[in-house]
Amino acid sequence: MKNKLIPIKSQGADFLNTVKMIPERLKDVKNASDKPAMNPEKFNVNMVSAALHPKKQTLKIKKIDVISPDVKSYYFTWVGSQPLAYFRAGQYLTFQLEIDGSIVTRAYSIASSPASALKGEYQITVKRVNDGFVSGYILDNWKLGDIVTSFAPEGTFVYESIRDAKTVMALAGGSGITPFLSMARAIDDGTECFNLTLLYGARNKDEILFKDELDAIAQRNPNFSVVYVLSDVKSKPKGCEKGFISAELIKKYAPVNEKYSIFVCGPEAMYNFLHKEIPTLGLEDKYVRFELFGVSKSTLKLDGIKPGTYKMTVINRGEETETTCNGEETILNALERAAVKVPVRCRSGECGFCRSKLVSGTIFLPETVADKRREADARFGYIHPCCTYPTSDIVIKIN
Amino acid sequence: MSKKYDVIVIGAGNGGLTAATKMALSGKKTLLVERHNLPGGYATSFVRGRFEFEASLHELCGIGPITGVGALKDTFQELGMYDRVEWVEVKEAFRTITLNDENNYDYALPTGKEAFIEKAEEYYPGAREHIEKLIDLAVQINNGISFLNNIKSFNADTVKTVFDEHLNFLNIASYSVNQVFDALGTPQPVRDIFAAYWCYLGVDLDELNFIHYATMFHSYIVDGAVIPKGRSHTISCALLDRFEELGGEAWFNSDVKKIIVKDKIAKGIVLDDGTEVLADYVIANASPYNVLTKMIDGAEIPKFQTQDNNAKQLAVKGYAVFLGLNKSYEELGLNNHSYFIYDCADTKKVSELSKTNKKCALQATVCLNKAIPDCSPEGTSILYMTSIFQGDEAWKDITPENYVKEKRRYANIMIDDFEKATGAKIRDAIEEIEIAAPVTYAHYNDAPNGTIYGFQAAGSNSIVHRLMTMAMGDKIKNLGFCGGYTQQCIGFSPSYQTGMMAANNAIKYLEKEEASK
Ligand SMILES: Cc1cc2nc3c(=O)[nH]c(=O)nc-3n(C[C@H](O)[C@H](O)[C@H](O)COP(=O)(O)OP(=O)(O)OC[C@H]3O[C@@H](n4cnc5c(N)ncnc54)[C@H](O)[C@@H]3O)c2cc1C
Ligand code: FES
Repeated sequence: MKNKLIPIKSQGADFLNTVKMIPERLKDVKNASDKPAMNPEKFNVNMVSAALHPKKQTLKIKKIDVISPDVKSYYFTWVGSQPLAYFRAGQYLTFQLEIDGSIVTRAYSIASSPASALKGEYQITVKRVNDGFVSGYILDNWKLGDIVTSFAPEGTFVYESIRDAKTVMALAGGSGITPFLSMARAIDDGTECFNLTLLYGARNKDEILFKDELDAIAQRNPNFSVVYVLSDVKSKPKGCEKGFISAELIKKYAPVNEKYSIFVCGPEAMYNFLHKEIPTLGLEDKYVRFELFGVSKSTLKLDGIKPGTYKMTVINRGEETETTCNGEETILNALERAAVKVPVRCRSGECGFCRSKLVSGTIFLPETVADKRREADARFGYIHPCCTYPTSDIVIKIN
Repeated sequence: MSKKYDVIVIGAGNGGLTAATKMALSGKKTLLVERHNLPGGYATSFVRGRFEFEASLHELCGIGPITGVGALKDTFQELGMYDRVEWVEVKEAFRTITLNDENNYDYALPTGKEAFIEKAEEYYPGAREHIEKLIDLAVQINNGISFLNNIKSFNADTVKTVFDEHLNFLNIASYSVNQVFDALGTPQPVRDIFAAYWCYLGVDLDELNFIHYATMFHSYIVDGAVIPKGRSHTISCALLDRFEELGGEAWFNSDVKKIIVKDKIAKGIVLDDGTEVLADYVIANASPYNVLTKMIDGAEIPKFQTQDNNAKQLAVKGYAVFLGLNKSYEELGLNNHSYFIYDCADTKKVSELSKTNKKCALQATVCLNKAIPDCSPEGTSILYMTSIFQGDEAWKDITPENYVKEKRRYANIMIDDFEKATGAKIRDAIEEIEIAAPVTYAHYNDAPNGTIYGFQAAGSNSIVHRLMTMAMGDKIKNLGFCGGYTQQCIGFSPSYQTGMMAANNAIKYLEKEEASK
């Protein structure tokens, strides 16, 4: 069939204009510079990206505060040419260590303010976990001047004004104070702008970390206040509350007739208690956020765990290695024990960095860990080894 | 030094995944290397709270649920992974709105040729005749392209066919959308409706090639659009799954630092940890900009190739806000799947405005639940808003310190604009929010300057210029390119197709080599 002609300029000119496109392009090519264009790493956007997300950070311990033999604060500065990555108050650093031939990682919330990162300082505070592998190692081995390695700051436990209420009720226990200390400091130095009311649970006054500083910020900054909630005391100490952080206590200090958010960071027992208390307040889910805390030992009591030693074949860039894993440890633990370098950040199943393909074998994913895999990942056999337990021999492709 | 491969594909984005799968399907020993820990490039998703967000795809053309025909469907069937994805038809085309004109428009259109025309006629009596003319031209263009693609040799018959059937296609090739509108006397409301998708190509209608736009329009409206269940990450996983099933090897967390080139012939790659891998052929899904500026020594690049690269401009930078809402789309009054909200009807002016980030010049926003109701938990919904920036001005002063505040400031503008344009109140329902700015795209895709659209498809680098000159000039041998920077320009469907083209070139080369041995 013949098509009716539709002239744009005129029949002759139209066809000619098409033919001219080739010389038009070649002319532009000929007139272009013959030197390679700017290295993309020099665009400001790319430089900011590199500054915010370095692949690794080499840090030097410049100060250690011994709060007790079981709790220490470490202050780092940068070595080399790459300044400390900026972060958001509430984010964490994942450290990578070599201990007895294992390559292990652990996450620690940054306790310092983002502003101090610009001045070349990060602070973390590590508390000993009784039968833990790494916290004790850090507390007993890290010395002044040591060089350690971390990844870039990560984490979504941050204040976001578009999403959160203007007032945050922060519920802290134990070392869970660290992200809130960062937030309080950031409010104090003007980096963050929201109201933070901290309910800080501890057994007694001696267990409270950073009390002087928290009190001082609360004194001078109207946007921050702190209430200590002590469980192991006979009578209610002055200016403190006695007992556990409960719905009733939250209500007592929360704003009236105004929405508020609840952020929680602390030990598992506290989470278990608050998971029952908070719903009674009738807040929308969007106003309640729990920080991650890794995979807990109580998981080991769950039915899905199948104790035993299994064969684990690891595929890494086409190379296969054989090692073992254990039904009572996460697959990530087994990989780290075998000194396999796996990309890791949160160790809580959330960030997806450890995403790997389960080529064969069976696994157990505890219900206590929310399954944060992408829909398609679950369908195509991918797992997050940091929160997954083997229940048979497995073959896993990590890279 | 380890094993040697027939081909190494750098980057597991849409183009790279397709190229690698096609190579493996042809029995070639193929290595696919990706810097990230998962496949897909922009075709990915991420989880926040109880929501899984689509990172980039708005709707996919080339699968054609209405007509049943689609080039991409053929490709995915050839590769043997079409059935591994569940495709959901998108029945609404778009709602397009202007915000700051004296007389703002607000049109909502369905997909399907007849339904689209009928609705347009309701908005503007007389639209039928104009849209039919435009669609007829689009059909002629499609026919012309497939005729050229299938031509074996030129003879008297083919010349006669060209003159009888494809002359409009040849005659129109150099003109912009607005030039064609002017020549056809297309009234303004019909232009607003027909060209609503223009922001998907990031070029205003004075610059945007008509062929480029019309073919895209045709495949969305006439053939129909789809969304994959489980986000575009499902397509990426399905391609990778098929690739590995065919014996292909994929390495993740593997950043290619150098392409080894000797005597202007590509020989292999070097990873960031120094690992060297050799191959007879290399296909880069990594951007040609990065390849030619930081992955290959300038002295090894033929002059034409450097100049050709320099005679292109990086396209728009990307920006997106992802919202997980704690109410259903019905409750919130999110009645449409795809929203285009433009500052005004004058696309040149919108483009000008998008040179800074003071105001939001345009946004393309999707409510995913309108296509896939159960894509988020019951009683919730997902909304993602995308904007683009022309030129170098916007985000030029971003620093690590002001970054979060700046991206939040712009998110607030977009959310306000959305509420104003649609009347839907979403702010109080925001349960999760993630914001991707140009820095984010630089981080995840190593995008130069945070561009999401490759090279600008304008001037002498329009899609037609690219297709006409792609085989010309002296270039590094045994090195092919695929993805949104290449001949088909950006977009999901085109970037998959460039993977096929690059693979076909590589196969042809390798088989010729084989035969000459
Ligand atoms: C985002 C984030 C921020 C954090 N911030 C801080 C901080 O600021 N300060 C701080 O002190 N800590 C913080 N932590 C906790 C910290 O990362 C470590 O988990 C903690 O120091 C314990 O490490 P460990 O190696 O000593 O103990 P682990 O060896 O990891 O053991 C921890 C607990 O898990 C049990 N366990 C051991 N193996 C298993 C297994 N296979 N399966 C289940 N349970 C097992 C142990 O018995 C023990 O009770 C944070 C964690 C996260 C995720
Ligand atoms: S390390 Fe974050 S999901 Fe496993």
